Amino acid sequence: MYDHLDIRCPRLGGEVTFAYCQREGGDLPCPRILACWQPYFPVETYLRKKLTQTEWDRCFNRQPKDKVTTLIELIEAAKKRKSLQD
Amino acid sequence: MDPVKVFLDESEIPRQWYNILADMPTPMSPPLHPGTGQPIGPDDLAPVFPMNLIEQEVSSERWIDIPEEVLEKYLIWRPTPLCRAVNFERFLDAPVQIYYKNEGVSPPGSHKPNTAIAQAYYNKAFGIKRLSTETGAGQWGSALSMACQMFGLECRVFMVKVSYEQKPYRRIMMMTWGANCIPSPSDKTEAGRKILAEDPECPGSLGIAISEAIEDTVTDENARYSLGSVLNHVLLHQTINGLEAQKQLEKIGVYPDIVVGCTGGGSNFAGLCLPFVRDKINGKDISIVAAEPTSCPSLTRGSFAYDFGDTIMTTPLLPMYTLGHEFVPAPIHAGGLRYHGMAPIMSHLVKEDIIEARAYDQIETFDAGVRWARTEGFISAPETNHAIAAVVQEANRAKEEGKEKVILFNWSGHGLVDLAAYDAFLSGKLTKYDLPDDEIQKSLKSIEGLPKP
Repeated sequence: MYDHLDIRCPRLGGEVTFAYCQREGGDLPCPRILACWQPYFPVETYLRKKLTQTEWDRCFNRQPKDKVTTLIELIEAAKKRKSLQD
Repeated sequence: MDPVKVFLDESEIPRQWYNILADMPTPMSPPLHPGTGQPIGPDDLAPVFPMNLIEQEVSSERWIDIPEEVLEKYLIWRPTPLCRAVNFERFLDAPVQIYYKNEGVSPPGSHKPNTAIAQAYYNKAFGIKRLSTETGAGQWGSALSMACQMFGLECRVFMVKVSYEQKPYRRIMMMTWGANCIPSPSDKTEAGRKILAEDPECPGSLGIAISEAIEDTVTDENARYSLGSVLNHVLLHQTINGLEAQKQLEKIGVYPDIVVGCTGGGSNFAGLCLPFVRDKINGKDISIVAAEPTSCPSLTRGSFAYDFGDTIMTTPLLPMYTLGHEFVPAPIHAGGLRYHGMAPIMSHLVKEDIIEARAYDQIETFDAGVRWARTEGFISAPETNHAIAAVVQEANRAKEEGKEKVILFNWSGHGLVDLAAYDAFLSGKLTKYDLPDDEIQKSLKSIEGLPKP
């Protein structure tokens, strides 16, 4: 009943549906889904029913990384993929 | 009649960028390498950035010369006008003078080319042939596409597929400027191919698009990566806007009481505000307000810490607004607090109480933006509406206090390719969904027993 609802995504800079937010992280919702949607409907209650505790923790209780650290990690990961290809 | 617009002659354009790192009241701690725990050095970033930009990233020189080649391109639309919002002042009926820098006059319609032009130039000067980047709805991608074209660089933009399919206009802008705009995930990278193999219908995300852009860079020695926000050199390039504003205000003998900018990754805000932050550090009595969305309250609700990213301590963080790795989030705070997109410079200035961060609800911001459009005429980018909402708040405060104030803000871009957002607001789609509790319970019951994803 919520999937079709629209919101402006502050990361993308465009409108997305709740359905997108629920799978933004692949098998997990976008980590900001609670902050973005809670003002509109009780998204926390909804997701607590839908996610396992492990999934909840993976999505919401993991520490985010700063941009430079993320870049370094992505560089290392890309190098690894390249060496496997070679 | 008082003048509405203040111009600078082209010969008056600032010839140096301002580097706030030279004036920070307390030093910023360096980011640490996730593998070694040691400060990240130039060589760590060399696979994705040219060394001349890395030097700017770590520079503590207060003033950095703007190359002539960059100034020549800036002059296509700079200096941008400083305008007085007379009609909006009348509408607000408050004892305020409101000035704004119109950054919407650039070819892509935003402040983004201030750094895109500079980054394209430095990459070209370093011998790079191609730039790669990611973009959400396309504001950054379009600015970089134009800049690359101006310096004869090839440009590849990985655009999040959901936006690629829904937002044709910025994609068309990128293509018009000669860029190769690719929906992400794509088959151009190993990262993209792996995701598509698992889920051919994957709508993409910024995380995937960044992975693709980085891989695309690392696997081609003639390519480098380009980022439109957060990093120190990006904020540095943006300061041309605030430096122009200072000269323009000086011409009319005005100095602001309040400077406002909207903030996502920080570059928009920093461009106008950092030269005024310098004044504040040097004793000026001025308020500097960073307006951000409530949906990503990265500045307003976090606690400042220097923290490891997880319990096994493999991901050290920059000192930023953080939950701490043992934190269990409160319902509404968690998602936003996990967003560490804010520039470290900005986080540091908030921590030092030099900048005040305020969050605004998206409905409040669109309401302000529509009022702006109906008085000043210009349709603002949705992000810019956050700054306008802060201006409205300050004007109302001045009215309540009976104090005259001068407010300066960054009108960071027009919203002519974001009209779908206005449509959503005006048609009532961006609104609170007040669903009765029994309906919610009914909905939740309907998914009980279903397999968990």
